[in-house]
Amino acid sequence: MSDRPGSWLRQLIAFAILIAIWQGAAQAGLLNPLYMPSPLAVALTLIELFRTGTIWIHIMATFSAALGGLALGIVVGAILGTAAALVPLVGELLEPVMIGLNAVPRVVLAPLFVIWFGIALASKIALAFILVAVVIFFTVFTGIRQVDRRLVERVMTLGGGWQALLTEVYIPSVTAFILGNLKVAVGFAFTGAVVGEFVAATKGLGYLLSFAQSSYNSALMIALVVLIMGFVLAIFALTGMLERRLLRWRG
Amino acid sequence: MLTVKDLALSYGGATPVLEGVSLTVARGQFVSLVGPSGSGKSSLLRAIMGLQPIQAGSIETDVKRDDIGMLFQDDALLPWRTAEENVALGLRLKGVAKGTAIASARQWLTRLNLYGLSERFPRQLSGGQRKRVALAQVLAREPKFLLMDEPFASLDAIVRARVTQDLMRLVEQRGISVLLVTHDLEEALALSDLVCLMSLGPRAQISGYYEVKLPRPRDAMKVRSHPDFAPLLQRLWTDLSREVGGRAA
Repeated sequence: MSDRPGSWLRQLIAFAILIAIWQGAAQAGLLNPLYMPSPLAVALTLIELFRTGTIWIHIMATFSAALGGLALGIVVGAILGTAAALVPLVGELLEPVMIGLNAVPRVVLAPLFVIWFGIALASKIALAFILVAVVIFFTVFTGIRQVDRRLVERVMTLGGGWQALLTEVYIPSVTAFILGNLKVAVGFAFTGAVVGEFVAATKGLGYLLSFAQSSYNSALMIALVVLIMGFVLAIFALTGMLERRLLRWRG
Repeated sequence: MLTVKDLALSYGGATPVLEGVSLTVARGQFVSLVGPSGSGKSSLLRAIMGLQPIQAGSIETDVKRDDIGMLFQDDALLPWRTAEENVALGLRLKGVAKGTAIASARQWLTRLNLYGLSERFPRQLSGGQRKRVALAQVLAREPKFLLMDEPFASLDAIVRARVTQDLMRLVEQRGISVLLVTHDLEEALALSDLVCLMSLGPRAQISGYYEVKLPRPRDAMKVRSHPDFAPLLQRLWTDLSREVGGRAA
Protein backbone atom coordinates (compact mmCIF):
# COMPACT_ATOMS: atom_id res chain seq x y z
CA MET A 1 0.00 0.00 0.00
CA SER A 2 1.17 3.49 -0.76
CA ASP A 3 2.45 5.58 2.12
CA ARG A 4 1.94 8.94 0.43
CA PRO A 5 0.05 11.36 2.67
CA GLY A 6 -3.71 11.07 2.33
CA SER A 7 -3.44 7.91 0.25
CA TRP A 8 -6.05 6.08 2.36
CA LEU A 9 -8.52 8.88 1.65
CA ARG A 10 -7.94 8.65 -2.10
CA GLN A 11 -8.27 4.86 -1.91
CA LEU A 12 -11.53 5.20 0.03
CA ILE A 13 -12.94 7.69 -2.49
CA ALA A 14 -11.97 5.43 -5.41
CA PHE A 15 -13.63 2.48 -3.69
CA ALA A 16 -16.81 4.49 -3.02
CA ILE A 17 -16.94 5.59 -6.67
CA LEU A 18 -16.58 1.97 -7.81
CA ILE A 19 -19.44 0.86 -5.55
CA ALA A 20 -21.56 3.80 -6.76
CA ILE A 21 -20.96 2.85 -10.41
CA TRP A 22 -21.85 -0.76 -9.61
CA GLN A 23 -25.05 0.31 -7.81
CA GLY A 24 -25.93 2.73 -10.63
CA ALA A 25 -25.41 0.05 -13.28
CA ALA A 26 -27.57 -2.38 -11.32
CA GLN A 27 -30.36 0.18 -10.88
CA ALA A 28 -30.22 1.11 -14.56
CA GLY A 29 -30.84 -2.54 -15.37
CA LEU A 30 -27.45 -2.99 -17.02
CA LEU A 31 -26.63 -5.98 -14.78
CA ASN A 32 -28.59 -9.21 -14.58
CA PRO A 33 -29.32 -9.63 -10.82
CA LEU A 34 -29.13 -13.41 -11.20
CA TYR A 35 -25.44 -13.14 -12.00
CA MET A 36 -24.47 -9.77 -10.58
CA PRO A 37 -26.71 -8.43 -7.81
CA SER A 38 -26.37 -4.82 -6.70
CA PRO A 39 -24.06 -3.93 -3.80
CA LEU A 40 -27.16 -2.97 -1.84
CA ALA A 41 -28.60 -6.48 -2.30
CA VAL A 42 -25.28 -7.96 -1.16
CA ALA A 43 -25.25 -5.69 1.90
CA LEU A 44 -28.84 -6.63 2.75
CA THR A 45 -27.99 -10.33 2.47
CA LEU A 46 -25.05 -9.83 4.82
CA ILE A 47 -27.21 -7.96 7.33
CA GLU A 48 -29.83 -10.68 7.11
CA LEU A 49 -27.24 -13.40 7.81
CA PHE A 50 -26.21 -11.65 11.02
CA ARG A 51 -29.75 -10.57 12.00
CA THR A 52 -31.06 -14.11 11.94
CA GLY A 53 -27.85 -15.36 13.52
CA THR A 54 -27.61 -18.28 11.08
CA ILE A 55 -24.12 -17.23 10.03
CA TRP A 56 -22.44 -17.78 13.42
CA ILE A 57 -22.33 -21.56 13.30
CA HIS A 58 -20.65 -21.33 9.88
CA ILE A 59 -18.19 -18.68 11.00
CA MET A 60 -17.29 -20.78 14.02
CA ALA A 61 -16.72 -23.85 11.85
CA THR A 62 -14.48 -22.03 9.36
CA PHE A 63 -12.51 -20.24 12.07
CA SER A 64 -11.99 -23.47 14.00
CA ALA A 65 -10.68 -25.21 10.90
CA ALA A 66 -8.53 -22.28 9.75
CA LEU A 67 -7.02 -21.41 13.12
CA GLY A 68 -6.58 -25.08 14.08
CA GLY A 69 -4.78 -25.77 10.81
CA LEU A 70 -2.76 -22.56 11.16
CA ALA A 71 -1.54 -23.37 14.68
CA LEU A 72 -0.78 -26.98 13.83
CA GLY A 73 0.88 -25.99 10.53
CA ILE A 74 3.12 -23.42 12.21
CA VAL A 75 4.22 -25.80 14.97
CA VAL A 76 4.81 -28.83 12.74
CA GLY A 77 6.28 -26.77 9.87
CA ALA A 78 8.67 -25.01 12.27
CA ILE A 79 9.79 -28.26 13.92
CA LEU A 80 10.35 -30.01 10.58
CA GLY A 81 12.04 -26.95 9.08
CA THR A 82 14.39 -26.69 12.08
CA ALA A 83 15.21 -30.40 11.95
CA ALA A 84 15.82 -30.28 8.20
CA ALA A 85 18.13 -27.27 8.50
CA LEU A 86 20.13 -28.61 11.44
CA VAL A 87 20.25 -32.37 10.75
CA PRO A 88 21.62 -33.04 7.25
CA LEU A 89 19.95 -36.47 6.93
CA VAL A 90 16.52 -35.07 7.82
CA GLY A 91 17.05 -32.25 5.32
CA GLU A 92 18.06 -34.71 2.65
CA LEU A 93 14.89 -36.80 3.16
CA LEU A 94 12.38 -34.02 3.80
CA GLU A 95 13.32 -31.41 1.22
CA PRO A 96 12.20 -33.42 -1.87
CA VAL A 97 8.91 -34.34 -0.16
CA MET A 98 8.24 -30.70 0.64
CA ILE A 99 9.26 -29.58 -2.85
CA GLY A 100 6.84 -32.17 -4.24
CA LEU A 101 4.05 -30.95 -1.97
CA ASN A 102 4.83 -27.37 -2.90
CA ALA A 103 4.73 -28.18 -6.62
CA VAL A 104 1.10 -29.31 -6.66
CA PRO A 105 -1.82 -27.03 -5.81
CA ARG A 106 -2.38 -28.59 -2.39
CA VAL A 107 -6.15 -27.97 -2.48
CA VAL A 108 -6.40 -30.98 -4.81
CA LEU A 109 -5.84 -33.05 -1.67
CA ALA A 110 -9.25 -31.93 -0.33
CA PRO A 111 -11.25 -34.90 -1.70
CA LEU A 112 -8.63 -37.32 -0.42
CA PHE A 113 -8.75 -35.79 3.05
CA VAL A 114 -12.54 -36.12 3.06
CA ILE A 115 -12.13 -39.86 2.39
CA TRP A 116 -9.42 -40.16 5.06
CA PHE A 117 -10.83 -37.94 7.80
CA GLY A 118 -14.55 -37.69 7.03
CA ILE A 119 -16.69 -34.66 6.29
CA ALA A 120 -16.40 -33.17 9.80
CA LEU A 121 -13.82 -30.66 11.06
CA ALA A 122 -10.76 -32.93 10.83
CA SER A 123 -10.52 -32.95 7.02
CA LYS A 124 -10.71 -29.12 6.91
CA ILE A 125 -8.05 -28.76 9.58
CA ALA A 126 -5.91 -31.23 7.65
CA LEU A 127 -6.19 -29.19 4.44
CA ALA A 128 -5.44 -25.88 6.19
CA PHE A 129 -2.59 -27.60 7.99
CA ILE A 130 -0.92 -28.99 4.86
CA LEU A 131 -1.16 -25.61 3.12
CA VAL A 132 0.39 -23.78 6.07
CA ALA A 133 2.96 -26.40 7.11
CA VAL A 134 4.71 -26.41 3.71
CA VAL A 135 5.03 -22.60 3.68
CA ILE A 136 6.31 -22.51 7.26
CA PHE A 137 8.68 -25.42 6.60
CA PHE A 138 10.42 -23.51 3.81
CA THR A 139 10.36 -20.28 5.80
CA VAL A 140 12.11 -21.87 8.78
CA PHE A 141 14.38 -24.07 6.64
CA THR A 142 15.75 -21.15 4.63
CA GLY A 143 15.53 -18.85 7.68
CA ILE A 144 17.90 -21.02 9.70
CA ARG A 145 20.26 -21.50 6.76
CA GLN A 146 20.37 -17.75 6.20
CA VAL A 147 21.08 -16.88 9.83
CA ASP A 148 23.86 -14.31 9.90
CA ARG A 149 27.08 -16.28 10.45
CA ARG A 150 28.68 -13.25 12.04
CA LEU A 151 26.10 -13.29 14.82
CA VAL A 152 26.68 -17.00 15.38
CA GLU A 153 30.43 -16.42 15.62
CA ARG A 154 29.95 -13.42 17.87
CA VAL A 155 27.91 -15.44 20.37
CA MET A 156 30.43 -18.28 20.14
CA THR A 157 33.36 -15.97 20.87
CA LEU A 158 31.44 -14.68 23.89
CA GLY A 159 31.43 -18.25 25.15
CA GLY A 160 27.89 -19.17 24.09
CA GLY A 161 27.06 -22.82 23.46
CA TRP A 162 24.22 -24.33 21.41
CA GLN A 163 21.62 -23.22 23.96
CA ALA A 164 22.70 -19.59 23.74
CA LEU A 165 22.89 -19.82 19.95
CA LEU A 166 19.35 -21.16 19.85
CA THR A 167 17.79 -18.56 22.15
CA GLU A 168 19.91 -15.55 21.18
CA VAL A 169 20.41 -16.07 17.45
CA TYR A 170 18.36 -18.80 15.79
CA ILE A 171 14.94 -18.32 17.43
CA PRO A 172 14.82 -14.50 17.08
CA SER A 173 16.14 -14.71 13.55
CA VAL A 174 13.63 -17.39 12.48
CA THR A 175 10.78 -15.61 14.31
CA ALA A 176 11.42 -12.62 12.07
CA PHE A 177 11.18 -14.87 9.00
CA ILE A 178 7.98 -16.56 10.25
CA LEU A 179 6.31 -13.26 11.08
CA GLY A 180 7.23 -12.01 7.63
CA ASN A 181 5.34 -14.95 6.12
CA LEU A 182 2.52 -15.10 8.66
CA LYS A 183 0.15 -13.21 6.37
CA VAL A 184 0.67 -15.75 3.61
CA ALA A 185 0.10 -18.55 6.14
CA VAL A 186 -3.14 -16.94 7.40
CA GLY A 187 -4.41 -16.60 3.84
CA PHE A 188 -3.54 -20.24 3.16
CA ALA A 189 -5.24 -21.42 6.37
CA PHE A 190 -8.52 -19.80 5.33
CA THR A 191 -8.15 -21.10 1.78
CA GLY A 192 -7.72 -24.61 3.16
CA ALA A 193 -10.67 -24.34 5.50
CA VAL A 194 -13.06 -22.84 2.93
CA VAL A 195 -12.04 -25.15 0.08
CA GLY A 196 -12.34 -28.16 2.41
CA GLU A 197 -15.85 -27.08 3.35
CA PHE A 198 -16.68 -26.42 -0.27
CA VAL A 199 -15.84 -30.00 -1.20
CA ALA A 200 -17.85 -31.75 1.51
CA ALA A 201 -19.23 -30.39 4.78
CA THR A 202 -22.35 -29.75 6.78
CA LYS A 203 -21.37 -26.29 7.98
CA GLY A 204 -18.85 -23.54 7.44
CA LEU A 205 -18.53 -20.57 5.09
CA GLY A 206 -17.28 -22.87 2.32
CA TYR A 207 -20.32 -25.09 2.77
CA LEU A 208 -22.57 -22.03 2.62
CA LEU A 209 -20.77 -20.91 -0.53
CA SER A 210 -21.38 -24.33 -2.08
CA PHE A 211 -25.05 -24.09 -1.07
CA ALA A 212 -25.33 -20.59 -2.58
CA GLN A 213 -23.79 -21.84 -5.81
CA SER A 214 -26.21 -24.77 -6.11
CA SER A 215 -29.16 -22.47 -5.46
CA TYR A 216 -27.90 -19.78 -7.88
CA ASN A 217 -27.80 -17.23 -5.05
CA SER A 218 -25.21 -14.75 -6.33
CA ALA A 219 -25.96 -12.20 -3.61
CA LEU A 220 -25.15 -14.76 -0.91
CA MET A 221 -21.98 -15.82 -2.73
CA ILE A 222 -20.67 -12.28 -3.02
CA ALA A 223 -21.71 -11.57 0.58
CA LEU A 224 -19.70 -14.58 1.73
CA VAL A 225 -16.68 -13.54 -0.34
CA VAL A 226 -16.86 -10.08 1.26
CA LEU A 227 -17.20 -11.65 4.70
CA ILE A 228 -14.19 -13.95 4.24
CA MET A 229 -12.19 -11.06 2.85
CA GLY A 230 -13.13 -8.97 5.89
CA PHE A 231 -12.06 -11.68 8.31
CA VAL A 232 -8.75 -12.30 6.58
CA LEU A 233 -8.03 -8.55 6.45
CA ALA A 234 -8.83 -8.28 10.17
CA ILE A 235 -6.41 -11.11 10.91
CA PHE A 236 -3.83 -9.44 8.65
CA ALA A 237 -4.20 -6.31 10.79
CA LEU A 238 -3.68 -8.38 13.93
CA THR A 239 -0.58 -10.11 12.53
CA GLY A 240 0.65 -6.68 11.42
CA MET A 241 0.33 -5.47 15.02
CA LEU A 242 2.12 -8.57 16.27
CA GLU A 243 4.86 -8.02 13.69
CA ARG A 244 5.35 -4.40 14.71
CA ARG A 245 5.48 -5.37 18.37
CA LEU A 246 7.82 -8.32 18.05
CA LEU A 247 9.99 -6.81 15.32
CA ARG A 248 10.30 -3.42 17.02
CA TRP A 249 14.06 -3.66 16.54
CA ARG A 250 13.60 -3.51 12.78
CA GLY A 251 11.86 -0.15 12.85
CA MET B 1 50.48 -15.77 27.46
CA LEU B 2 49.99 -16.73 23.78
CA THR B 3 52.41 -18.82 21.76
CA VAL B 4 51.78 -19.74 18.14
CA LYS B 5 54.28 -22.27 16.77
CA ASP B 6 54.81 -23.28 13.13
CA LEU B 7 51.17 -22.70 12.33
CA ALA B 8 49.75 -23.68 8.93
CA LEU B 9 46.18 -23.21 7.82
CA SER B 10 44.21 -23.23 4.59
CA TYR B 11 40.73 -22.41 3.35
CA GLY B 12 40.22 -26.00 2.21
CA GLY B 13 42.56 -25.96 -0.80
CA ALA B 14 45.89 -27.80 -0.96
CA THR B 15 48.03 -24.68 -0.67
CA PRO B 16 48.11 -23.25 2.83
CA VAL B 17 47.35 -19.56 3.30
CA LEU B 18 49.70 -19.44 6.26
CA GLU B 19 52.69 -21.69 6.83
CA GLY B 20 55.34 -21.77 9.54
CA VAL B 21 53.94 -18.83 11.46
CA SER B 22 55.36 -18.40 14.95
CA LEU B 23 54.41 -15.62 17.27
CA THR B 24 54.42 -14.80 20.97
CA VAL B 25 52.33 -12.25 22.80
CA ALA B 26 53.57 -11.66 26.36
CA ARG B 27 51.38 -10.61 29.28
CA GLY B 28 50.35 -6.98 28.88
CA GLN B 29 51.99 -6.71 25.45
CA PHE B 30 50.32 -5.02 22.49
CA VAL B 31 51.22 -6.80 19.23
CA SER B 32 50.02 -5.84 15.75
CA LEU B 33 49.93 -7.91 12.59
CA VAL B 34 50.28 -5.94 9.38
CA GLY B 35 50.75 -7.13 5.84
CA PRO B 36 49.29 -7.42 2.36
CA SER B 37 45.63 -8.32 1.86
CA GLY B 38 45.04 -12.05 1.73
CA SER B 39 48.07 -12.90 3.84
CA GLY B 40 45.85 -14.73 6.33
CA LYS B 41 46.02 -12.22 9.19
CA SER B 42 42.33 -12.50 10.01
CA SER B 43 42.45 -16.28 9.66
CA LEU B 44 45.21 -16.39 12.25
CA LEU B 45 42.98 -14.57 14.76
CA ARG B 46 40.06 -16.83 13.92
CA ALA B 47 42.27 -19.87 14.44
CA ILE B 48 43.36 -18.59 17.85
CA MET B 49 39.69 -18.16 18.76
CA GLY B 50 38.88 -21.67 17.53
CA LEU B 51 36.69 -20.47 14.65
CA GLN B 52 39.03 -21.86 12.00
CA PRO B 53 40.68 -25.31 11.99
CA ILE B 54 44.48 -25.44 11.73
CA GLN B 55 46.48 -27.82 9.53
CA ALA B 56 49.76 -27.92 11.40
CA GLY B 57 51.56 -26.35 14.32
CA SER B 58 50.14 -25.35 17.67
CA ILE B 59 48.41 -22.49 19.47
CA GLU B 60 48.96 -22.38 23.20
CA THR B 61 47.71 -19.91 25.75
CA ASP B 62 47.56 -19.81 29.53
CA VAL B 63 44.44 -17.63 29.39
CA LYS B 64 41.03 -19.25 29.88
CA ARG B 65 38.80 -19.01 26.83
CA ASP B 66 36.35 -16.87 28.79
CA ASP B 67 39.12 -14.35 29.37
CA ILE B 68 39.82 -13.88 25.66
CA GLY B 69 37.81 -11.18 23.92
CA MET B 70 37.48 -10.75 20.19
CA LEU B 71 36.51 -7.62 18.31
CA PHE B 72 35.53 -8.18 14.70
CA GLN B 73 35.79 -5.92 11.68
CA ASP B 74 32.00 -5.56 11.67
CA ASP B 75 30.22 -4.86 14.93
CA ALA B 76 27.90 -7.92 14.63
CA LEU B 77 25.57 -6.86 17.44
CA LEU B 78 22.33 -8.80 17.84
CA PRO B 79 19.85 -6.52 16.03
CA TRP B 80 16.95 -7.64 18.26
CA ARG B 81 18.75 -6.70 21.47
CA THR B 82 19.20 -3.16 22.79
CA ALA B 83 22.68 -1.75 23.34
CA GLU B 84 22.64 -2.65 27.04
CA GLU B 85 21.21 -6.11 26.38
CA ASN B 86 23.97 -6.74 23.85
CA VAL B 87 26.62 -5.72 26.36
CA ALA B 88 24.91 -7.69 29.16
CA LEU B 89 24.78 -10.77 26.94
CA GLY B 90 28.56 -10.98 27.02
CA LEU B 91 28.42 -11.01 30.82
CA ARG B 92 25.48 -13.40 31.10
CA LEU B 93 27.30 -15.91 28.93
CA LYS B 94 30.11 -15.68 31.46
CA GLY B 95 27.69 -16.66 34.21
CA VAL B 96 26.89 -13.20 35.62
CA ALA B 97 23.30 -12.82 36.91
CA LYS B 98 20.97 -10.81 34.65
CA GLY B 99 20.45 -7.84 37.00
CA THR B 100 24.16 -7.46 37.71
CA ALA B 101 24.95 -7.87 34.02
CA ILE B 102 22.56 -5.06 33.02
CA ALA B 103 23.90 -2.74 35.73
CA SER B 104 27.47 -3.40 34.65
CA ALA B 105 26.50 -2.98 30.96
CA ARG B 106 25.09 0.48 31.71
CA GLN B 107 28.29 1.48 33.49
CA TRP B 108 30.39 0.36 30.56
CA LEU B 109 28.19 2.17 28.06
CA THR B 110 28.53 5.35 30.12
CA ARG B 111 32.29 4.86 30.34
CA LEU B 112 32.43 4.62 26.54
CA ASN B 113 30.40 7.81 26.09
CA LEU B 114 27.12 6.09 25.27
CA TYR B 115 25.15 7.48 28.20
CA GLY B 116 21.44 7.67 27.37
CA LEU B 117 21.68 5.30 24.43
CA SER B 118 21.54 2.04 26.33
CA GLU B 119 17.96 1.24 25.38
CA ARG B 120 18.44 1.83 21.67
CA PHE B 121 18.56 -0.97 19.15
CA PRO B 122 21.70 -1.26 16.98
CA ARG B 123 19.91 0.19 13.92
CA GLN B 124 19.20 3.34 15.94
CA LEU B 125 22.91 3.91 16.55
CA SER B 126 25.60 5.38 14.30
CA GLY B 127 28.53 3.26 13.09
CA GLY B 128 30.82 4.73 15.76
CA GLN B 129 28.26 4.16 18.50
CA ARG B 130 27.72 0.55 17.43
CA LYS B 131 31.46 0.01 17.50
CA ARG B 132 31.59 1.38 21.04
CA VAL B 133 28.78 -0.98 22.06
CA ALA B 134 30.75 -3.90 20.60
CA LEU B 135 33.82 -2.66 22.46
CA ALA B 136 31.82 -2.38 25.70
CA GLN B 137 30.48 -5.91 25.14
CA VAL B 138 34.01 -7.27 24.99
CA LEU B 139 35.60 -5.06 27.67
CA ALA B 140 32.77 -5.59 30.19
CA ARG B 141 33.89 -9.20 30.38
CA GLU B 142 37.23 -7.90 31.63
CA PRO B 143 39.31 -9.91 29.19
CA LYS B 144 42.96 -10.58 29.89
CA PHE B 145 43.67 -11.00 26.20
CA LEU B 146 42.07 -9.13 23.32
CA LEU B 147 42.05 -10.19 19.66
CA MET B 148 41.06 -7.42 17.27
CA ASP B 149 40.49 -7.71 13.53
CA GLU B 150 40.54 -4.22 12.03
CA PRO B 151 37.94 -3.20 14.56
CA PHE B 152 37.72 0.43 13.55
CA ALA B 153 38.29 0.19 9.80
CA SER B 154 34.78 1.35 8.89
CA LEU B 155 34.84 4.49 11.04
CA ASP B 156 35.60 8.02 9.91
CA ALA B 157 38.90 9.51 11.03
CA ILE B 158 37.66 11.57 14.00
CA VAL B 159 35.47 8.84 15.47
CA ARG B 160 38.19 6.31 14.86
CA ALA B 161 40.76 8.39 16.72
CA ARG B 162 38.42 8.82 19.68
CA VAL B 163 37.43 5.16 19.95
CA THR B 164 41.04 4.09 19.54
CA GLN B 165 42.12 6.45 22.33
CA ASP B 166 39.38 5.12 24.63
CA LEU B 167 40.54 1.59 23.94
CA MET B 168 44.20 2.47 24.42
CA ARG B 169 43.50 4.00 27.81
CA LEU B 170 41.65 0.90 29.03
CA VAL B 171 44.22 -1.52 27.65
CA GLU B 172 47.07 0.33 29.38
CA GLN B 173 45.15 0.74 32.67
CA ARG B 174 44.19 -2.91 32.88
CA GLY B 175 47.31 -4.45 31.42
CA ILE B 176 45.37 -6.31 28.74
CA SER B 177 47.41 -8.22 26.16
CA VAL B 178 46.37 -7.43 22.60
CA LEU B 179 46.84 -8.96 19.18
CA LEU B 180 45.60 -6.51 16.55
CA VAL B 181 45.21 -7.05 12.82
CA THR B 182 45.32 -3.83 10.84
CA HIS B 183 46.11 -2.43 7.41
CA ASP B 184 47.06 0.88 8.91
CA LEU B 185 50.82 0.95 9.56
CA GLU B 186 50.64 4.22 11.50
CA GLU B 187 47.94 2.83 13.76
CA ALA B 188 49.96 -0.34 14.32
CA LEU B 189 53.04 1.63 15.38
CA ALA B 190 51.11 4.11 17.48
CA LEU B 191 49.43 1.41 19.55
CA SER B 192 51.85 -1.50 19.69
CA ASP B 193 54.92 -2.72 21.51
CA LEU B 194 55.66 -5.06 18.63
CA VAL B 195 54.60 -5.00 14.98
CA CYS B 196 54.79 -8.21 12.92
CA LEU B 197 54.89 -7.90 9.14
CA MET B 198 53.31 -10.75 7.19
CA SER B 199 54.63 -11.74 3.77
CA LEU B 200 52.44 -12.00 0.68
CA GLY B 201 50.37 -15.21 0.62
CA PRO B 202 49.86 -18.03 -0.15
CA ARG B 203 52.19 -19.69 2.37
CA ALA B 204 52.44 -16.35 4.15
CA GLN B 205 54.86 -16.06 7.05
CA ILE B 206 55.97 -13.38 9.43
CA SER B 207 58.79 -11.71 7.55
CA GLY B 208 59.76 -9.03 10.05
CA TYR B 209 59.39 -8.01 13.71
CA TYR B 210 59.54 -4.32 14.68
CA GLU B 211 59.88 -3.37 18.31
CA VAL B 212 58.21 -0.07 19.17
CA LYS B 213 59.95 1.43 22.19
CA LEU B 214 57.83 4.54 22.49
CA PRO B 215 56.89 5.72 26.00
CA ARG B 216 53.63 4.63 27.69
CA PRO B 217 50.98 5.68 28.51
CA ARG B 218 50.53 6.75 24.94
CA ASP B 219 48.23 9.14 23.20
CA ALA B 220 47.46 7.31 19.96
CA MET B 221 47.59 10.58 17.97
CA LYS B 222 50.33 12.56 19.73
CA VAL B 223 52.75 9.64 19.70
CA ARG B 224 52.96 10.02 15.92
CA SER B 225 55.00 13.20 16.35
CA HIS B 226 57.61 11.43 18.51
CA PRO B 227 61.03 11.64 16.78
CA ASP B 228 61.38 7.82 16.66
CA PHE B 229 58.02 7.34 14.99
CA ALA B 230 58.76 8.51 11.43
CA PRO B 231 61.93 6.41 10.93
CA LEU B 232 60.11 3.30 12.16
CA LEU B 233 57.19 3.97 9.87
CA GLN B 234 59.57 4.51 6.95
CA ARG B 235 61.28 1.17 7.63
CA LEU B 236 58.01 -0.67 7.94
CA TRP B 237 56.65 0.94 4.79
CA THR B 238 59.77 0.09 2.78
CA ASP B 239 59.68 -3.53 3.93
CA LEU B 240 55.97 -3.86 3.22
CA SER B 241 56.46 -2.39 -0.27
CA ARG B 242 59.22 -4.92 -0.88
CA GLU B 243 56.91 -7.72 0.34
CA VAL B 244 54.25 -6.90 -2.22
CA GLY B 245 56.87 -6.61 -4.96
CA GLY B 246 56.82 -2.89 -5.40
CA ARG B 247 53.01 -2.79 -5.56
CA ALA B 248 51.24 -0.50 -3.12
CA ALA B 249 50.10 -2.46 -0.07
